Formats: sequence, structure tokens, C-alpha cells
Amino acid sequence: MELFLMTLTTGIMVGGIYALIALGWVLIYKCSGVLNLAMGELTLIGAYVSLSFYSMGIPFLLALLFSLIIGFILGILTERIFLDRLIGEPILTVIMVTVGLSFFFRGIVELIWGTDTRVFTPPVFPLEPIHIGPLIVGQVYLWSFVAAIILLCIFVVFFQYTRWGLAMQATADDEMAALSLGVSARFVYATAWAIAFMAAGVGGTLLGNINGLNISVGYLGLLVLPAVVLGGLNSVPGAIMGGIIIGVLQNLSGAYLDRYFPGGVKEIAPFVFMAVFLLFKPYGLWGWERIERV
Amino acid sequence: MAGEEPILKINNIEVKYHEVILVLKGVSIEVPKRSIVALLGANGAGKSTTLKAISGLLKHENGEVTDGSIEFMGERIDRLSAEKIAKMGIVQVIEGRRVFEHLTVEQNLKVGAHLRRDGRSIKEGLEMVYNYFPRLREKRNEIAGFVSGGEQQMTVVGRALMTNPKLILLDEPSMGLAPLLIHEIFNIITRLNREENISILLVEQNAKLALNVAPYAYVMENGRIVMDDTAERLRENPDIKDFYLGLTDVGGRKSFRDVKHYKRRKRWLT
Ligand SMILES: Nc1ncnc2c1ncn2[C@@H]1O[C@H](COP(=O)(O)OP(=O)(O)OP(=O)(O)O)[C@@H](O)[C@H]1O
Ligand SMILES: [Mg+2]
Repeated sequence: MELFLMTLTTGIMVGGIYALIALGWVLIYKCSGVLNLAMGELTLIGAYVSLSFYSMGIPFLLALLFSLIIGFILGILTERIFLDRLIGEPILTVIMVTVGLSFFFRGIVELIWGTDTRVFTPPVFPLEPIHIGPLIVGQVYLWSFVAAIILLCIFVVFFQYTRWGLAMQATADDEMAALSLGVSARFVYATAWAIAFMAAGVGGTLLGNINGLNISVGYLGLLVLPAVVLGGLNSVPGAIMGGIIIGVLQNLSGAYLDRYFPGGVKEIAPFVFMAVFLLFKPYGLWGWERIERV
Repeated sequence: MAGEEPILKINNIEVKYHEVILVLKGVSIEVPKRSIVALLGANGAGKSTTLKAISGLLKHENGEVTDGSIEFMGERIDRLSAEKIAKMGIVQVIEGRRVFEHLTVEQNLKVGAHLRRDGRSIKEGLEMVYNYFPRLREKRNEIAGFVSGGEQQMTVVGRALMTNPKLILLDEPSMGLAPLLIHEIFNIITRLNREENISILLVEQNAKLALNVAPYAYVMENGRIVMDDTAERLRENPDIKDFYLGLTDVGGRKSFRDVKHYKRRKRWLT
């Protein structure tokens, strides 16, 4: 029972990070209809950028802020350079371009930062675990979770209350109507990529704090795919729930199934679950079915 | 109509979709300042295409003005982006009550104010919209996808109003609404024109209704303007009486037998 509760808690906390990455993913899909398969690499880049700043002796929060700024710029550039000219092309073409982008980014990461595992030194979060009632939780997990939740809240406030947040939601709902009101769809796409880059970067940084940073963190970034599909592709709350469910599943299967299927159950379980789940609920938990009025 | 320059002047435009499908074949329309002009025509005549050519939304559907020109307050706009055209003060209310269905009514209105920068004028704008459409004030916090059809139509007109427009392009605001509601909405449209000095180009299939609010109208068929005249004279025109006033008498009471008759005829046609 103890083991179960602890795995559950850790799962939820890691899930918070996945939720953050999933949010960026959903945003791009919602606003521009692009399935972004380079999400894992966005995670990597952000993580390496903040690690580099941190290694220079810059305080962690400041390093994180710099990586947010760089993520923002990279997001806009990526959209401007690679995706803008593809507006109106078949969706498959665009998806293939994101696959190309993922190889491109991965190459750049290996070129700049190499393939060895790097860690944040000195460790950002204190190593001794915290006791919450009967539970023992690593501080990395706890603080990562807190950071992820704070950022998620900031994003939600942005979408609900700011001019550009509303414009993004409007574009996702009805692009043509948004255009008729003077909303710039190109700017909305660019902002979506910028936010995705930022969210993924923070997610990657937090993941890097947990296990150290190497190329495989990029694969963790791809884990959000089952998370968003589970949540229903275009639902922000769905992405958040999906992220947490995947985190929990991953940790539970790691704790209980690894004995029987040694190796990579942890990584595969979410995908298996996604496949089975979709058999029963093809639109995910909160996928948009168009609002039909009677 | 002599004297003052019209606010909108369409000179003999030709519009193609996908570079080959010729839809407008030389359309000329003038909208005088502070007036309401109606554009009538049957399904597929090219009315919506005309509006999209003006607002620039055409480019978004892979359409293009291939000949002629469109001038707004003396400036050529047929090559500008939809965003620039919106900034100049033209707003199109697309047919079919296209609310942002996952946003609340008030959020819909706020998106309309996207190009207004400061918070105060957004508040004033909301106040103005709620004054014209008191019903929207009651529904302000409801999700737009779930309010009634009439309220959705009010939302999209109000949303257009939030852009602070000089010219509104209204595409079939009466479509699918009950006569009483249509009456209410058309009243407000007339008031907007009189009180806010907004020029309106109104597309309607319901000719009777349109000729009541618009003093001048154009009739379109097959991508061409086939007639234009004052509402008074159009109402007396035998062709108009036959084709438009007779067929789409939604404003008046329709008896059950008429509906059946209409349906039967439609079946023959298809
Ligand atoms: N995106 C498009 N691509 C190709 N052809 C189009 C497109 N949009 C409209 N058309 C064609 O252009 C013609 C005019 O369409 P339009 O929508 O302007 O008619 P309308 O007068 O508004 O009709 P309705 O009263 O049914 O709304 C139609 O034959 C239609 O098939
Ligand atoms: Mg139409």
C-alpha cells in the first residue's frame, strides 16, 4: 500500500511536467491544426539552454527565465522560417516537416552539447526527501510539480483574459471569423509555437533535474503524444489530465510490471494504454465534438 | 446620389477561386456614405463572394480578385490582407452565425475589440453593444455555442460592432430565424445605421425584408449584377415581384400549403 501511494504521488508529480509539455502540443494543434512531432526536441533544447546558463553560475530561476525568452524567440523563428510557407499545404506535408524539424533540432543539440549525460551541478533542489504524512517525496518531484502547476495557471489566465489569449482561442474555434475581425492568424500561429517552445523548455528542464539530461529526455517529451491523444487532441484541460494520467501509469507500471517484463515497460505502457483506450473512446476524454444545438 | 464620394466603390471586378473557377464576372457596386445598400440574389449568385472580395477573406479561401478594383474611402483595397482591411474599418459578418462557440458571449465581443488597444474603449464598446442588444447583457457569461440562434446572430453583429466599423458587410442575418426576431434584428441594424453613422452592405435572399430597410438595392444573378434601382421601384418591378418577393415571402405568414407547394417544387428542380 505504501509503495502504491508513493508511486502514485510521484506519478502525479511527473505527470504535472508532462501536462506542461502536452499543453504546448495541444496549443499548436488547436490553433493551426499541425501535429507537431518535434515536441520532444523542443523539450531538449529548452532543457539544454537552461542547463548551460545554470552551469555558468547563473541562479536557477534566472536561467529558467532566459530559457523561456530564448524559447519564445526560437518558437517564433521556427514558425516564421519553416511553417509559415506551408500554410494551405496538405496536412501530411506539414507533419512530415515537423518530423524533419525533429531530426534537425536533434542534430543541432548533439552538435552543441554532445551526447553525454549532463546533470545540473550543484543540484538545484535539495536532495533529502520531504515527508508528507506517511509519504516520502523527493524534493525535485515536489518542486517540479509546483513549478509546472504555476506555469499552467499562468497559461490559463493568459488564454482566458488577455487580448492575444482570446484571439488564439477564437482562431482555434473559427479561423475565418477571427480573420474578419482583424486577428492576424499568422501571429496566432507564431505565438502558439512560442508558447509551446517555452512550455516544453520548462518541462525539459524539470525532467533534466530529475534524471540528468541527455538525448533520451527528448523521448520523454514524445510521451506527451499519448497524453494529448488521451485528453482529446484539442482540449487544454484534457492535455493536463492526460499528462497526469500518463505520469501515473508510467510509474505504476514501472513499480509493478517491471518484475515480469524487465526492460522498458515504463516507456511502452502509456502507448499500449492509449491504443486500448482509443478503441473505446476515439475522441479522447474531452475532445471537441462540435457543439450541436437542438 | 451625386455629390459626396461613395464610401465603397467596386469597379467591374472579376473573381476566381483556385485560379480557374470564375465566379464574379464583372460586378460594380457603390455604397454611399452612411447608407444601407442591399444585394439580392438567389443561391449561388455570388453574393457572399462579393462580400469576401471586399473584406479580403477571399484570399483565405484561395480566391482572388483577378480584374477590376475595389476602393474604400478613395483607397484601393483589393490587394490588401484581411487584417489591414479590418484595420481600415470594414467588418464582415459571415453568413451562418459563426460565433466562437467555446467562448462566452462577452469573450466573443472582446475578440471583436481585438484591434482596439486600450481597456477603456473596450468597456465603452461593450456598453454600447449591450445597449443595442440588452439580451446579450443577460447572456454575457454563457458559452456562445449554447445560446439560441437569435442570440448568436446578435452576438456576431455585436462582435462586428466592437471593431468600431465604418462599413459593415452583413451576410444573410435573417437566415433561419423566426419572423419576430428578424424584425428585432433589422430594427437594430437600421438604428446602427442612423445613430452610429455606419454604412451597411446587406446581403439577403429575403428581398421583401431587405427592400424595407435599404433604400437602394442591386440584384445579382450568376456572378453578374442584372439590375439596380431604388427600393421603391424594385418593389414595383414585375420580375422582382415574381422571382424574389413571391418566392421568399418569409416576412409574411406562410400557410402550410405554401410550404408543401414550395417543397414539391424544390423536388422537381433537383
Ligand atoms: N471556396 C470556394 N471554392 C470554389 N468555389 C466556390 C467557393 N466558394 C463559393 N464558390 C462558388 O461560387 C459561387 C457563388 O457562391 P457564393 O457563396 O458567393 O453564393 P451566394 O450568392 O452567397 O449564395 P448563397 O445565397 O447560397 O449563400 C457558387 O457557385 C459556389 O459554388
Ligand atoms: Mg452566401
